[in-house]
Amino acid sequence: MDKKYIDISENIIEENKELIPAPSASSDGSDEPKDINYWRSFRELYNDPSFRKEKSMEFHPGELDKPDLNTFSKFSRRKFLALLSASAAVAASGCSNYRDKGELIPYNKKPESVTVGNPTYYASTCTGCSSACGILIKTLDGRPVKVDGNPDHPVSKGKICAIGQASVMSLYDPERLKNPVERVNRVSPNNMDWKTADEKIIAELKSAAASGKEISVITHTVNSPSLKKLFDEFAKAYPTAKVYSYELFEDTPRNSAWEKCYGSKNYPLISWDKANIILSLESDFLGNEGNKVETSRLYTSGRDAINGKEFNRLYSVEGNASVTGMNSDYRLILKTDAIEEFVMCLLNELAGKEKISSYSSDAGIMSKLQSFNLKSFAEKYNLSEEVINHLVSDLKKNQGASYVSAGSMLPESTHIAVNMLNEVLGNSALYKKEVSNVKVMPLSTREELENLVSDLNSGKTTVVIHYDSNPVYHLPPDLGYADAVKKAKTIVSLSESDNESSNAGNYVLPVNSMFESWGDYQTRNNFFSLQQPVIAPIYNNRQKEDILMTWISGNPDSYNSDSYHKFVMDNWKANILSSAGTDSDFNRAWYAGLNDGVVMVSKKEAAAQEGENVPAPEVFNPASFVSNTSSMRSKDGFSLLLIKSGALGDGRHANNGWLQELPKPVSRIVWDNYAAISVQSAKALGVDSNDNISITTQSGKMDIPVFVQPGMADGVLAIELGYGRTVCGTVGLDAGFNANVLMTKNPALSRWFYNDVKAEKSSGKYELVSVQDQYPMDEPLYKDIQYRREIIQEGTYLQFKENPDFLHDRHTKYSEEETFKLKVGSINEQYKHTGTKWGMVIDLNKCIGCNECVAACSVENNIPVVGKEQAKKHRSMQWIRIDRYYSGTPETPKASFQPMLCQHCDFAPCENVCPVAATTHSADGINGMAYNRCVGTRYCSNNCPYKVRRFNYFNFRDHFKDGIQLEESFTLMQNPEVTVRSRGVMEKCTFCLQRIMDERQMAIQENRQVKGSNVKTACQEACNTNAISFGDQNDKESDIFKLNNSKLAYHVLEEIKVKPNVTYLAKLRNVYEIEKEEAHH
Amino acid sequence: MKNFLIDYNLKVRLPILLFVVLAVFAITYYVSYAERVGVGYQPVQPIAYSHKLHAGDLKIDCRYCHSDVEKSRHANIPSPKVCMNCHSIARKDRPEIIKLTDYYTRGIPIEWKRIHRVPDFAYFNHSVHVNKGIDCSNCHGDIAAMEVVEQVKDFSMRACLDCHRNPDQTIKNITPGKDKKLINNGPTNCSACHR
Repeated sequence: MDKKYIDISENIIEENKELIPAPSASSDGSDEPKDINYWRSFRELYNDPSFRKEKSMEFHPGELDKPDLNTFSKFSRRKFLALLSASAAVAASGCSNYRDKGELIPYNKKPESVTVGNPTYYASTCTGCSSACGILIKTLDGRPVKVDGNPDHPVSKGKICAIGQASVMSLYDPERLKNPVERVNRVSPNNMDWKTADEKIIAELKSAAASGKEISVITHTVNSPSLKKLFDEFAKAYPTAKVYSYELFEDTPRNSAWEKCYGSKNYPLISWDKANIILSLESDFLGNEGNKVETSRLYTSGRDAINGKEFNRLYSVEGNASVTGMNSDYRLILKTDAIEEFVMCLLNELAGKEKISSYSSDAGIMSKLQSFNLKSFAEKYNLSEEVINHLVSDLKKNQGASYVSAGSMLPESTHIAVNMLNEVLGNSALYKKEVSNVKVMPLSTREELENLVSDLNSGKTTVVIHYDSNPVYHLPPDLGYADAVKKAKTIVSLSESDNESSNAGNYVLPVNSMFESWGDYQTRNNFFSLQQPVIAPIYNNRQKEDILMTWISGNPDSYNSDSYHKFVMDNWKANILSSAGTDSDFNRAWYAGLNDGVVMVSKKEAAAQEGENVPAPEVFNPASFVSNTSSMRSKDGFSLLLIKSGALGDGRHANNGWLQELPKPVSRIVWDNYAAISVQSAKALGVDSNDNISITTQSGKMDIPVFVQPGMADGVLAIELGYGRTVCGTVGLDAGFNANVLMTKNPALSRWFYNDVKAEKSSGKYELVSVQDQYPMDEPLYKDIQYRREIIQEGTYLQFKENPDFLHDRHTKYSEEETFKLKVGSINEQYKHTGTKWGMVIDLNKCIGCNECVAACSVENNIPVVGKEQAKKHRSMQWIRIDRYYSGTPETPKASFQPMLCQHCDFAPCENVCPVAATTHSADGINGMAYNRCVGTRYCSNNCPYKVRRFNYFNFRDHFKDGIQLEESFTLMQNPEVTVRSRGVMEKCTFCLQRIMDERQMAIQENRQVKGSNVKTACQEACNTNAISFGDQNDKESDIFKLNNSKLAYHVLEEIKVKPNVTYLAKLRNVYEIEKEEAHH
Repeated sequence: MKNFLIDYNLKVRLPILLFVVLAVFAITYYVSYAERVGVGYQPVQPIAYSHKLHAGDLKIDCRYCHSDVEKSRHANIPSPKVCMNCHSIARKDRPEIIKLTDYYTRGIPIEWKRIHRVPDFAYFNHSVHVNKGIDCSNCHGDIAAMEVVEQVKDFSMRACLDCHRNPDQTIKNITPGKDKKLINNGPTNCSACHR
């Protein structure tokens, strides 16, 4: 320990090696929980002295590291150029008129809809993944600066995931391709112009078509009706053309199981909001499966304690520690390979023993179930019998109002068993009848992809077009695509930036991002959505569909940036708007569609369409279950789960720093993937977190660091895909490890789940950075301090129903008058906020810890990316963080998520200590920061009880990756309504002051009072589950007033009496126990 | 002798020197204040547009051209299209109008020199002030009398606060139809302008 840092409590810690038990709050202590022990990490749980010391210190030692001056002298190219231009600017300014204030340049012809300074919103469609959610793009001065969900969109309902939020960074990415590139001999890239590129490629296409050689177009999911039509036309112009589509993550096992059971390939949509009991089997529907934006909204609509609704109950049975599992009421930890057996046992219990369904008389089914016994299964796997009994009786009681969800990585056989279980329970009542998913074009099957590879190898295919896809990275290595594609004569990649596949090719053509493109999408049968460009192409890039149309015409001069726009319009005129049955005048209907972003299909038409897609009425076919054979049991070795990263998706957004820096909800690790493993398995392997292990599957082998994840099942390895890109921009280049190499083309179970995987300790270490231990806001000397300090408040739903006041009985909530008298928290008098007083309420029952608010905040408030090294030093700049506390044992932890942001305390301790009055309070209750006044003493941060202030140790824009964030294109990304902070100033959440000021402007313009409900903060707008409410606390009519005074409301660290303006609603677990001792099993 | 010289230097020369330096600094500081805050800045514009003629003699309302001033943070500079509303007919033969028409027809935006400016870290909002009835002239001076526009008022934080604290004394002109009594003290907390 460096002596330079003064640690006032150092002596105390040395003297008191053991923790002092906390003083008893109430004398009788009857309502006090006895065993709750919250901990953030193993360091805290096992009482690591270094962690205790860290918590007691003013700043984390790493935070105070002096910058290494040696690194400054090494000028990279980018730094050198920056310096050069800066010195040129200095020289130029020396000669110029010092009074010059630059120019003001108006439009030549201003569009009528634009008011300079006010945002314009456009409805569009997000193509960050295949979900095609509806988005509303905010543009200022013609620049898209913020993306939110489209409120009119039936799926998004105004919300969008982190990938959509952060997509503006991908738009302005300075490492996007700027010109068409010809890679001579597939090595040296040379810029070329579009006409030459088109000429050469058209010649290649023509010769391939003439000689009967196949042209393979490889793309991601095609969910655009017009694009499908365009592909058809392409195949007409070049008859040998064939379109392949693939996804790294898709739902094949679920859908093929559905086909076997019900005859159609289309798994239905689920009414999650109508399910009283949800059983999740390795299914992370809140974290990464399906359309999580919609699912999490529907799920948490059953978690509304304030409006007196009955709570739903979530059971999860899983081997991985997923977001869903960590949010569940009862969590059973089970190695993934036993899950199918568990389903069979459950079936036997419900259908065989309890005989709750007509299938109980089906001899075939019964004989299949006979050998399974839930009780002995529970004993064998050490599952809590009590929980199993609850589960069985709950499922029995809620027939037709429960749902069993199987993870999309589970094999087909498990999905068939789960379909049967849902059928037995009568849960088909929750399958949506009117609305269903639509596949515009099915994904290529495994056989088709294998044929593609063999055609490439045999020379049958000579031209490959990577249509905004990256198969070299995404496809399983044993498919052999990476080698086979090299045999093609011509490889053309249409891509936004360089990737593994474009690097193998001859031509790389820059294409438009979703902000620059036209398009139409259909994911469900009840609506179509439209995509429109909101900015002209930033570089010399073109829309990929326009490029294709040029090739179809065969004439390079025929290119027109508007041709696909016209194509979509024509297609809509001929095929879509007529069937949608909307306005008879096409133009009116089209522009209305563009305005709304979606066009609803009338019910009658939807039924007609469904008639085309789903011919037979869906009746469960029991034979599918009887003939179902499972090979899920693993002999020995590990079960390996390859999971989708909630933030990064399949890796195509790897160069997006905001997404890389978004902590994973459960492990809170940034910038890396890792092999999550249980405590016992880590011991068995002789490894600890950060140690490398080598993992071998039948197709590949890799080394990856281990992260010991509490709550994992023994013998399970979980690795996120989408990392370890080798050809990518500088941001994503060294982030994580490519676990795609573990996938095989011909998996026994599914592409994301492998049994009998070998794992052994390997050499070396690799440091993973988890931001969980950062910013602890509890004192180190007391045990159970989180509870005593009232950071996390929890109860059970039954407890709440029995005594709605249970929280306030044990929790001191000071009234307005009391605090007014107290004057404890501040040297100042209490200021009476008579007008508007801004406040926020966060409902912990609804918060699932997904971190999407963090992404939204970063975009809205110009938060820089700091990089892994700086994140490790506790220097992340995110204004809102989601703390995750565990309780219970390392083997069976429960998690509590808590968003933490500036609390805008009435008696703000930070304000008292600022020597220059840079942080001050306003009459409407906002704790403001005047950056130009701040001198960087960091006293405020030291004095902040919630640890929410962030200091700019560097100009992070300049510091991270050679100042990539200073590139000119990124300056277009900044929200002009928020100051871009520089080195040496403190910053923190402002309650989105710019949005409050917008409302004030509107109020004055309309000559009315400011209305709290008109202001939505960025985090609130982004919250999928509507956990965050914001508004005027003095407005008695408002929602926030009601929530503020609800029975579950509490303030974090109430006892220090700083009067925070962020109120939390205590989390209720819907378990059968009333006592909280349940934390230990 | 040597002592005397040191003594003389210390007791007479040094104070005089210090006084002169301080006096020069003080005088320069006060004299240059206007210059430093930009008062009197009158750049040459690409087109010799006369506010005196249009706003003064012809009495065209400011908001005819600066049309977004009531709706937005910015009082927009009109696009040439607004000029052409009249000048596609009026005074087409004048050299400056020919210049203007040229800009318009070739689709080139006009690069007007900026005269008034508050720093980037202060967020001034035109619409809030104008909708309260504060006349443009309170900050911009009597533009209607200027042949070539110049900055006549101080645009420092002091000037903002003077007005926010004592609008009764500082605000001279009110937009016709608005009531001066409605103008309360402006907010003086930091976050009103800095965010």
